[in-house]
Amino acid sequence: MWTRTILMGILALGAILPTPVPLAAADPLVDVAKEANKKMVKLFGAGGFSRLNNYATGIIVSPQGHVITVASQILDTPDLVVHLYDGTRLPAQVLVTERELDIALLKIRSPGKKLEDPLDESLEYFDFLAAAKRPPAEVGDWVIALSNTFEIALRDEPLSVQRGVIAAYTKMAGRRGVFEFPYTGDVYIVDAITNNPGAAGGALLNRKGELLGIIGRELKNTLSETWMNYAIPVTGKAEVVQRVLLKDKDGNVIKDKDGKEVYEEKTVTVTMAEFVELGMQGKYKPIEGKNTIGGIGGYHGILFVPNILDRTPAYIEDVVPGSPADKAGLRSDDLVSFIDGEPVISINAFNDYIKKRTRAGTVVRLEVRRGEVLETIELTLEAHPAPPNSSGPPTPPKQ
Amino acid sequence: MIRLSIPKTVMVEAKPNLRNAPQDSTMIRSVLRLLRSWAWLGPVGATLALVVAVALPWAPAAPLDVDRVVLEEQSQRIETIKKVHPAIVAVCMQGGQGVGSGVLIDPEGYALTNFHVVQPTGPLMQAGLADGVLYDAVVCGIDKVGDVALIKLLPKEKGKPFPYVKLGDSDKVRAGDWSLAMGNPFSLAMDFTPTVTFGIVSGVNRYQPPEGKGLLEYTDCIQIETSINPGNSGGPLFNMDGALIGINGRGSFEKRGRVNSGVGYAISINQIKNFLGHLYGGIDSDHATLGAAIGTANEDAPLAQMIVKQILDESDAYRRGLREGDQLLEFAGRRVNSTNEYKNILGIYPKEWRLPLTIRRGTTTREILVRLMGNQAQVIEKKDQPPEQPQPRPQPVPLPKGPRPSGEAAKMYEARKGFSNWYFNVVEQKKLLEKFKNHGDFSELCGTWTIEGQYEQPDRRGPMKIVLSEGAEGTKITMKLNIETSLEPLRQSDLRLQQEPIGSGGLMMAMYHYRRFLTLGAKGFEGLFAYGGYAPFYPFPIDGSEPKSLAALRVDCDLMITKHGSVECRWYFARTDGTLLGFETYVAKDADNLDDRDPCEVYFHDYKEVGGRKLPHTMNVRFGNKRYALLTVTSYNLEK
Repeated sequence: MWTRTILMGILALGAILPTPVPLAAADPLVDVAKEANKKMVKLFGAGGFSRLNNYATGIIVSPQGHVITVASQILDTPDLVVHLYDGTRLPAQVLVTERELDIALLKIRSPGKKLEDPLDESLEYFDFLAAAKRPPAEVGDWVIALSNTFEIALRDEPLSVQRGVIAAYTKMAGRRGVFEFPYTGDVYIVDAITNNPGAAGGALLNRKGELLGIIGRELKNTLSETWMNYAIPVTGKAEVVQRVLLKDKDGNVIKDKDGKEVYEEKTVTVTMAEFVELGMQGKYKPIEGKNTIGGIGGYHGILFVPNILDRTPAYIEDVVPGSPADKAGLRSDDLVSFIDGEPVISINAFNDYIKKRTRAGTVVRLEVRRGEVLETIELTLEAHPAPPNSSGPPTPPKQ
Repeated sequence: MIRLSIPKTVMVEAKPNLRNAPQDSTMIRSVLRLLRSWAWLGPVGATLALVVAVALPWAPAAPLDVDRVVLEEQSQRIETIKKVHPAIVAVCMQGGQGVGSGVLIDPEGYALTNFHVVQPTGPLMQAGLADGVLYDAVVCGIDKVGDVALIKLLPKEKGKPFPYVKLGDSDKVRAGDWSLAMGNPFSLAMDFTPTVTFGIVSGVNRYQPPEGKGLLEYTDCIQIETSINPGNSGGPLFNMDGALIGINGRGSFEKRGRVNSGVGYAISINQIKNFLGHLYGGIDSDHATLGAAIGTANEDAPLAQMIVKQILDESDAYRRGLREGDQLLEFAGRRVNSTNEYKNILGIYPKEWRLPLTIRRGTTTREILVRLMGNQAQVIEKKDQPPEQPQPRPQPVPLPKGPRPSGEAAKMYEARKGFSNWYFNVVEQKKLLEKFKNHGDFSELCGTWTIEGQYEQPDRRGPMKIVLSEGAEGTKITMKLNIETSLEPLRQSDLRLQQEPIGSGGLMMAMYHYRRFLTLGAKGFEGLFAYGGYAPFYPFPIDGSEPKSLAALRVDCDLMITKHGSVECRWYFARTDGTLLGFETYVAKDADNLDDRDPCEVYFHDYKEVGGRKLPHTMNVRFGNKRYALLTVTSYNLEK
């Protein structure tokens, strides 16, 4: 009875309060999603089998058609395609990737024109550098996620919209398959299920539609065995410890008393903003992976099939004309099975062997399966040719 | 893509979640229990409780300063949920085991759910409402391709109305809109209290391909991040006004398992509205094909152009002039820019509906009105099947074992080929014919009918006289326009005669059936007399001009389908007042000569009273792509 009296009292109080007025303004989510959708692309590339998707999402960061996305296996093809919000289908190419940030910069090309030519139409875009100057969103802030999750959208169909709040802003501690995930910097963790197949490269926005981050891969949290829903912030950065050649003030390499080069450990910081800014100018130099420290091995000139699996068989797609591989008579469709008597289970294993055990001048013996026969071919590795003077991607082999 | 009905395994999985409930809630619960136990101690106890509560360190010091807009939005949301709450259905097997969800859409107890929810229950099931009562229910109409079913709940007291929700307009839903999903996920609520989830619409006009054998195709559906889980199947998706905008049915799942992955799909209510007549009429409805393969002209082109890659010459679209290589611009008033969009548009319509198609050939653009074909692929598939190996079909489902339903529900089920429940077709026929009675009673007018007036054809005009006379051999029709023709429909089975006058597609046969329909009703059609659901009808301009926009002509109608001998007629009644607006007479629907397959179309205008009965005084007669004649009636003489 007493409780009822209290209740009545509360009700009476409520009656004094002004009656709720209908909300005048439409919820801005609809408009934010619509506007942001124009600044995004659906991305299609390598994959399409064995649970590896051949689709992803990208964020347009310049009117000339620069696009950022996650550095996933789908980029491992010369035939990348984007669908703009209005349904236009255009080719794209990777300009540069940064493993440490798990990011790639692409450029859209007008059909029949060169990569560096301007697009037929300038695009709506997110100003990445302006976004990177804003303070990061805070835990509890509302966010909107836009991505082509599950490849639901094609052509002019709009991307999928989700909303949630920032659950945490923390260091990344993910892993992918059995491999360490390269990026260990700050991430936004969101409470919405954003990181589904195809969502990688999607945009995480605040309620105003400003870019906060780039939606990552499908990753399992190593601690809880749960799937992570994360985005790398536009302010993201990676600190990488590198062994670098010690040089004096004039830039000359310092050598020790035995005449060997001296290395020192140095922490290099790369930021998303720097990657995007320098990348668009063609000046970004990716950090070499830890595995490559101590040499990159000899040059063979073999071009393998797209390396999209952890264990992609080492099938040769093509050889660079005039390279050691060409001279030794390797050709497309050969399967590299042994190197110096060791089995080659994958392209990665082959590359690993080359990096760790060879240098220019090394002679390696390959057993190659050609049709039904195993052939032995000897290859004399050379020094790596000087990289082309542009920042562009390696031109795909001409068939 | 997986459906969201309840598999037994998932129900088991749901339990550990409950055990893992956070410790906080146990603490709150025990405090509440404490408070509740003090309540009967009276004011002293309560005051004590308050003092204790204030003294506790985790008690909130001051109310949070929350924006008024947020509070208002929240109270509106709560109001909306309260409003629709009583109409949410937990669909159960006989005996009460939950299989999915549903929602009541009218006071008579009709509720929408998924086809895949009623698949395991069979035609009789039970349905729990939020009031905790389990009602008997029976399946009405089904749409297997669209994954929709209509069931009817039986009230505990005869005539007692059910709570229900209003249907919204899903074409107005936009990505980013808020939505509420309700239902009984994991069969959590043993007392059928619905679970509410709240989220945004992630996309609209989504296409999700069929799940096996061409069934359960989600076209033009609503993609939501609003959490839906096994058991939510068939449950409603509401906008924030509490209007029904969709029926939740499936989700995209991959490695995360069969629970909400942030990507769920609801069948749009506007698609269901197209089928609602079929569903009420107990029809086992089918979706449609154009009879043509439509694809992008060049997959690599910057912009997609949809063109006709192939066309079946037996399709209506072919006879209306659609040809290979034509570009499809618009379909049913919507632009077609991708294969998904084309499938989205096609997928929301029942077979045999007529819809406008805008096509471009060379530099000319024109609009044609096309009858959709039934799902031809399935027909072909069936034909190719050896007869001794009947194709496993999900319907009809035998009655499951378990407690028998009350006699009442079982009485409301009647099996018939082509129908999921013939009982309800009879119900809808009666409703429609009741409305049609305002035309007057024709049942006693079995004598000679004489209709006189003028005819008008493109090249000539003159007096017109139609006589339908009764003889020993049945009715004989004599029709005089510029020349006199006659037909004895029961004796003369030659197709050429039946189609006379030449160029009309069988106007005499049509008039014969019109008279049968008016005088005999159901008794006159031994082959079929069935309610056919909703259908659009397009009365062409009576001045004979080409319509500027087919969409502007459209009138939504209730359809009756009749068969007498080899002749099929389709009768169109305005849904507003039951006026018979016209009918189509198929003298030879399956003729070898494809041009003979078109019906004689009669459009009624200018209804006037004649001896207490309403009769049309203008009839526009069309066949194929053109008008045959315009008949103006000056006198009706209908003898008893």
